Amino acid sequence: MKIALSWLKQYLDIDSGVQELSQLLTFAGIEVEGIEEIPALGKTVIAAEVVSAERVPKTDHLRLCMVNIGDMPYDEKDENNLIPVICGAPNCRAGIKAVLALPGTSLKDFKIKKAKIRGIVSHGMLCSEKELGISDSHGGIIELEPDVKIGTLADEIYGLPDVSFELEITPDRSDLLGYKGIARDLSAKLLLKTKEPAIPALPKPAGTLKIGLTNLEPKLCPRYTLRIIEGVKIAPSPQWLQNTLLKSGLRPINNVVDITNYVMFESGHPLHAFDYDKLATKEDNQSHPDIIVRLAEPKEEFIALDGKKYILDGDELLIADGKSPSALAGVMGGQGSSITDETVNIALESAAFEPGSVRKTSYKHKLSTDSSYRFERHLSAEYAVSISDRATALILEIAGGKLAGELLDSYPQPEEPVVLGVRPSRFELLIGYEMDESRMKDILASLNFSYVAKGGFEHGNRHGIDILPAQDERDAALYFKIPGFRKDVTREVDILEELSRLDGYDKVPQPEDRQEIMDRHAYKINNAASDWLVAHGAFETLNYSFVDPSRMRCLGYEDEPDFIRLINPQSANQSVMRTSLIPQLLTNLAYNLNHSERDIRLFELGRIYLKQDGSHKEPKRLAAVFTGSAGEMHFAKKAGEIDYYWVKGCFEGWLNQLGLNYGVSPAEHPYLTEGESFAYEIDGVELGYFGRVLPPVLEAWDIDVQILKQEVWVLEYNVENIAEISRKISRVYQDIPRYPAVMRDLSILVPLEVSYQKVRDYILETDRSLIQSVSPFDEYRSEQIPQGFRSLSLHIVLQDQEKTLTDERIDTLMVLVQKVLKEKLNVSMR
Amino acid sequence: MQDQLESLILEAEQEIEKCSAPNDILNVRAKYLGKKSVLNGLYGRMRELSKEERPAFGGLLNSARVKIEAFLESRSEAIKQAAWKKDSSGFDYTLPGVSLSRGGLHPLSIVRRQIDEVFMSMGFEIAEADEIEDEFHNFDALNTPKDHPSRNLADTFYVEGGKLLRTQTSTVQIRVMEKYKPPIKIISPGRCYRNDKPDPSHSPVFTQVEALVVDKGISMIDLQDTLQSFARIMFGTKVKSRIRPHFFPFTEPSAEMDISCVACDGQGCRVCKQSGWLEMGGAGMVDPAVFDTLGIDSEIYTGFAFGLGVERIAMLKYNIPDMRILFENDLRMLRQFRGEL
Repeated sequence: MKIALSWLKQYLDIDSGVQELSQLLTFAGIEVEGIEEIPALGKTVIAAEVVSAERVPKTDHLRLCMVNIGDMPYDEKDENNLIPVICGAPNCRAGIKAVLALPGTSLKDFKIKKAKIRGIVSHGMLCSEKELGISDSHGGIIELEPDVKIGTLADEIYGLPDVSFELEITPDRSDLLGYKGIARDLSAKLLLKTKEPAIPALPKPAGTLKIGLTNLEPKLCPRYTLRIIEGVKIAPSPQWLQNTLLKSGLRPINNVVDITNYVMFESGHPLHAFDYDKLATKEDNQSHPDIIVRLAEPKEEFIALDGKKYILDGDELLIADGKSPSALAGVMGGQGSSITDETVNIALESAAFEPGSVRKTSYKHKLSTDSSYRFERHLSAEYAVSISDRATALILEIAGGKLAGELLDSYPQPEEPVVLGVRPSRFELLIGYEMDESRMKDILASLNFSYVAKGGFEHGNRHGIDILPAQDERDAALYFKIPGFRKDVTREVDILEELSRLDGYDKVPQPEDRQEIMDRHAYKINNAASDWLVAHGAFETLNYSFVDPSRMRCLGYEDEPDFIRLINPQSANQSVMRTSLIPQLLTNLAYNLNHSERDIRLFELGRIYLKQDGSHKEPKRLAAVFTGSAGEMHFAKKAGEIDYYWVKGCFEGWLNQLGLNYGVSPAEHPYLTEGESFAYEIDGVELGYFGRVLPPVLEAWDIDVQILKQEVWVLEYNVENIAEISRKISRVYQDIPRYPAVMRDLSILVPLEVSYQKVRDYILETDRSLIQSVSPFDEYRSEQIPQGFRSLSLHIVLQDQEKTLTDERIDTLMVLVQKVLKEKLNVSMR
Repeated sequence: MQDQLESLILEAEQEIEKCSAPNDILNVRAKYLGKKSVLNGLYGRMRELSKEERPAFGGLLNSARVKIEAFLESRSEAIKQAAWKKDSSGFDYTLPGVSLSRGGLHPLSIVRRQIDEVFMSMGFEIAEADEIEDEFHNFDALNTPKDHPSRNLADTFYVEGGKLLRTQTSTVQIRVMEKYKPPIKIISPGRCYRNDKPDPSHSPVFTQVEALVVDKGISMIDLQDTLQSFARIMFGTKVKSRIRPHFFPFTEPSAEMDISCVACDGQGCRVCKQSGWLEMGGAGMVDPAVFDTLGIDSEIYTGFAFGLGVERIAMLKYNIPDMRILFENDLRMLRQFRGEL
């Protein structure tokens, strides 16, 4: 629902700023979906009279208007206060009063300047509502009422500046579908009194017209009231009324229809006005027409206000006259009985309809109106008369006329009042803090819940039932009569929600700030490291934290590390805290080899214990040992042996997945072979290493490589450093390239001393934006290759993010690649 | 003429039958139906015939064309099918498939992850601290008397420099409470050490998970609730839990936690020594003296703590008879837990 601040202020004295008000509404549970500020137009936008409007020669729609701007100071007006303005609107004609924006005016979308059009200088622009920002209507220029004084500021006419809010009303809150309801909720939030519009006492009926009322469906129409007003004068509404409707997104039509809409927007309760003289009598010889509330006949036809014909099924509720349908109850009026300029006498309906029936009719005939929208959400029958009175008073004031006869009111079964209890103790239990009784009463009083009594708590409606004294404080309840417009409040818990909502959810005590104790990232990295090894076929081992100190020397270290020694070890071979995971893994390897296992992949994730500056530290590491087949044994598909490439792929694979950009250098561990063992780091921070274990080292574990005929490889991840370094890496989605990638192959002769990596880097550097990847698919060494060279074959993937690559572009690039390789690395084509 | 056509059809049929690739079909089609084919030539000779003879001759030519087309079509379809239909005669489908060679986690890690998950889903955080500890955090702060026997060399491993290997992960509670203010809701899984000779139910190195909750309004209800939830998630919804009075220096009241025997559903068996219950660990409400040492106001905050033995849970869950098996790292044991979640 769209509401204008100026209109809302008629019901509540708010002086809050726009943002503050938006916050208030949102935290009262009325979500603000949009705020539209309608700025002031300023002193150069005024009411002016079009004195003449001559067609500009050789154009089909432009007119040269002489516009009277009255006393408005303007240098270039003539002695009769006239200025020339070119206008293209179809409704532009001599004699109308319009809104003129003089040169220098800044409108929402553009600035008005003096402009030469077809050789004629135009001094400003005659504006439409849309151009002024007061509605979406762009049907033509504004035609003001004839009595508007020339020179009146548009801001004054339209009540600008103003602000409108687009509100989302939840389906349970029919009471918020009108300005008064919004004001009521805000009043409870701000503890302000709302302002009720003054309804003057209606005059005694002086007219003579009569009408009959029969309600055949009291279930579907719990209340129907009808009032006749005689001798009204249908005319455009006064400017203030038009303005309010415009700012709530309604189109002004005529005074009577506008008033029914105005009262609907004010109260949330729709009304309908019929042209009395178009209503048919039941019997031909009858002196007065009839209104009959009944169900449609199957196949009965109805022409609605929208001009469309609807064929009815028979379960639609109708408001019919003596002969045919005059309205689909609560949904839309009929064309035949609608208010027109000729209407003189009106019958004003204010009624309540059963929501399900309205919803069904609206859904079935795909007719959703401001009226059906509200009736579907269940409106109370209680207020039909006061709403009718409000509209009647406005009609008498604005459209004139007199009342004929007393109000007809079919209300066979008045709504039963609802009295509910609410326990302060329950508020504390459910909402979590105490609210004292007086605060409860204040909030609920703002919502028109009237206090009844205090007593022992019972569930359900206690209207007409004695309230007994409370047994104790926990049982004590305050009883309130629930206003009829709050159909959503039926239980204690509904009242508790109102109290909490309007006291503010910010009053619910915030939990104490909980510090983050856990290092979640490190936890995940450790698990991921283990999972990576498991995915590579390795089994996890767990070994004691203390080891045999002599085992470190077996790894090839000349001196034992500075161990943390146990004072009371159980045995000498468990007398120091381990400083590496490798010795025990080799023990596990030897154990399993001794138990006839040949293909062994083991890892351990655990702590090592190091002395440090008089104290110690216990970092975590993951280490693994591999030997044998790189896959499960299969009779048809032979898996390779674990070798350099397998271990390198395993080791680097995880780091690559984490997105780490590492540097590589030879690993310096005495138990690893040279040339096949490498350590990885980022900015000097170790990530780990992999390498082949020297056969003499293995002998210390009684593993004889001559007999085993398998290589033994190890890797180690410094999981703590990896956790630290990967902590900052965040993944950002990259658009998927829209243009195809192209692959080119390159076979080259590479000097033996030039590494693949060098070749790859030079190729990538040639054009980083186009060359996506380089990968080797063959390496070849033979006597046919010139001495001191080897042959490498590479796939090169090229892709442009912006367009499809042409052959010429690729060829040019490949020539450049060849040139670079030749010049920098002495690499030639094969 | 008719004979000539008959033999042409026969010839075409034989040649089509020999086709084995889509290209062969194209060639044969060109030969028999193409522009320079005999059949096409015969169409040209229609002009030489009288008006009366033409329809009959045309009919013959057309039917020959249709027949050859049909042979080509069926052969082409056969070639297509042969391309993907495998001859499955003699294929031994019982030979094993190629399996991805995945390894597996150690059963203790599996159980630890299960425990982590249970508690993390209940909003616990995981906290860790060093295993090499000082006496203050391992004993004093936990309200252990100076002359308590657990401080003996026979019970506790000491290292050079006056430190010791922690005997329980309760040390982490102390370290966390020193550093962080309540509310605290942590578990601390990790290694502990006691000077026990390895035997079926003891190991000098073992794994504990301790839970600690400190907040306003924490009572024994919360302890019971957490314990019950844990037992049900770990061992199934039929499992019952109970606490019974016990003594620990750092909790007051103190309790031992039992769960109904998972082997016999509490009926009484060898595993539970006929009692129907299995001991899971110690528990209790944090002793105010512990809070006082750490400067936490024990009038405002209360808390509970309990400790579980991971080895014991793993042994119960997987029916492992001897704790030493868990530290042998024999692949024949490890492989049994491949794929366990």
